[in-house]
Amino acid sequence: MPTGFGWNFKTQYKECFYEHNDYREWDFQTALYEKVNDRVARITLNRPDKRNAFNDRMFEDLAAAMHKANDDPDVRVVIIRGAGNHFGAGHDLSSPEGEESPPVHPSVNPTLQDYYGFERRRCYKYDDITDYPKITIAQVHGKCIGASQIFAASCDIIVTAEDAQFGIRGFGSQLHGLTEYPLWPMWSNKAYAGRAVTEISGKEAAELGFANKAVPLDKLEAETLRWAQVLSNLPSEAVAVTKEWMSGMQDIMGMGGTQRAHYHAHTGLQYVRFRPEELNLYKEKRDKGLKGFLKDRAETATPKAAPKEKK
Amino acid sequence: MSTVLYEKKDGIGYITLNRPEELNAMNDEMLAELDELLPKVEMDLDVKVAVFRGAGKDFCAGQDLTGVKTYEVLSEPGEHLTIKKRMEAERRRNRRWEYIFNLAKPTIAQVHGHCLGTGCYLSMVCDITIAAEDAQFGDPLLRMGLLPHMPLWLYLVGIKRTRELLFTGCYIDGIEAEKIGLINKAVPRDDLEDEVNNMATGIALMNCDALAPAKDAVNSVMEARGLGAAWRFTNDMQLVMQQRTMLPEEFNFFSVREKKGLKAAIEERDAPFKKFCEER
Repeated sequence: MPTGFGWNFKTQYKECFYEHNDYREWDFQTALYEKVNDRVARITLNRPDKRNAFNDRMFEDLAAAMHKANDDPDVRVVIIRGAGNHFGAGHDLSSPEGEESPPVHPSVNPTLQDYYGFERRRCYKYDDITDYPKITIAQVHGKCIGASQIFAASCDIIVTAEDAQFGIRGFGSQLHGLTEYPLWPMWSNKAYAGRAVTEISGKEAAELGFANKAVPLDKLEAETLRWAQVLSNLPSEAVAVTKEWMSGMQDIMGMGGTQRAHYHAHTGLQYVRFRPEELNLYKEKRDKGLKGFLKDRAETATPKAAPKEKK
Repeated sequence: MSTVLYEKKDGIGYITLNRPEELNAMNDEMLAELDELLPKVEMDLDVKVAVFRGAGKDFCAGQDLTGVKTYEVLSEPGEHLTIKKRMEAERRRNRRWEYIFNLAKPTIAQVHGHCLGTGCYLSMVCDITIAAEDAQFGDPLLRMGLLPHMPLWLYLVGIKRTRELLFTGCYIDGIEAEKIGLINKAVPRDDLEDEVNNMATGIALMNCDALAPAKDAVNSVMEARGLGAAWRFTNDMQLVMQQRTMLPEEFNFFSVREKKGLKAAIEERDAPFKKFCEER
């Protein structure tokens, strides 16, 4: 049933998008697929001029590449990395109207049911990464922000450059640290304490247990391949069952529920009304352009320290 | 009792795994003796704290992999059993961990040397684990195509570290184990016994009647976080894992063991990971 928003009603229910066969003869543009060797496939997010920000096409290319690797019986391990200077800068805030990738422009004005279904579908994309039956390794360098960080978090292993930058910014400073909660797989109150703003380096991410290994940037690729190589020795069916066990364990520990809370919150945020003094992405984008918005947001997100009172 | 020793002193019950020649690996006999001993320890009003430890150079190297009298610890391929039988076996395996986890007395694992596989699971289900700095923790089950089946991994060390340790099967020492929250404390090998006795004595000063409900309150939090369902889910996944197929080019622990013996099979199992784990 068409809903007038570019997707079918049935897609609002959970489905694994690797189950389609659309990836055959796929024209890879914004994500490249290659075999490093018999057992290791590598996917390169390829929008370097946009810092590999996610738009609809890149999600599709990525899905097709994941699907392709999954259907290749020789492949045991999949590496995902970013072209250019960054792993990924999150959702593409400059996406044209009508794109599913947020921010969905308010002028599109979807019904609540439309928007809810869309958010649910978007969250389950990451669920499908977690549930992927082969071992996934995110090779992170440069910025790994927002949706890109959620994606990396959904992979099994993160190997990162020491100076990589993980974080979440949201549409405005009011979202700091909240939107990322369900997918921030530290499950540790200790790591959260005093961290309303969750921006950390690759080195710190490894110390906190968010990443598995941090190395200098020039050693990143070799280190990632080393991990892929050793993990490709594992029996593939046993890995699939073990991953299923881990994903099920995450559901039992509340991951399914937090996913739901996550997209509920996102749906609610679609209807946020900004006060005049608050930073409004859509208004700023209209008046000052995306660069102007980003500049203003950086200033609100890191306010200058209040001057100390004189004694 | 031969594979498990028991000694009671100053309100502390010492349970010693005693197959030092076999690195205290768990076989059917050891589990049967534990099954018999633990309810007695639990009911004994004179014992306030139970300490698990290993005789000889190791705490416990995990399952006895010889395949001889190990029905309770390991499902061997080619066993033609009904699903009901398999299910019962998997349930018993996990319910033993669940029972020790919920034992109505505080438990301390005193870990030195190897603490691998189910040995590591035993240390995880204890309330407190104190280890020697050079103790070796690890769970290499997946290398043999077996399901690493301890739900507490995810609760104790988080998702990313769980995946890393279970996928690579690498061992970590006591210091790293303390850092990531797998154990409470790592101390120099020579201080281990004193440290454990000190803590056990301290706990034994508590009101005995208060300790059991206090432990139960803590465990009920874990129950609320899903641990009860997790044990059961793990049974099912172990059952599923028994149906796996090994590809021809994949290392098959059981057939290599049959052809070349246990020692060669373990060496062949660990060889591809050795260099990686040393450099990790």
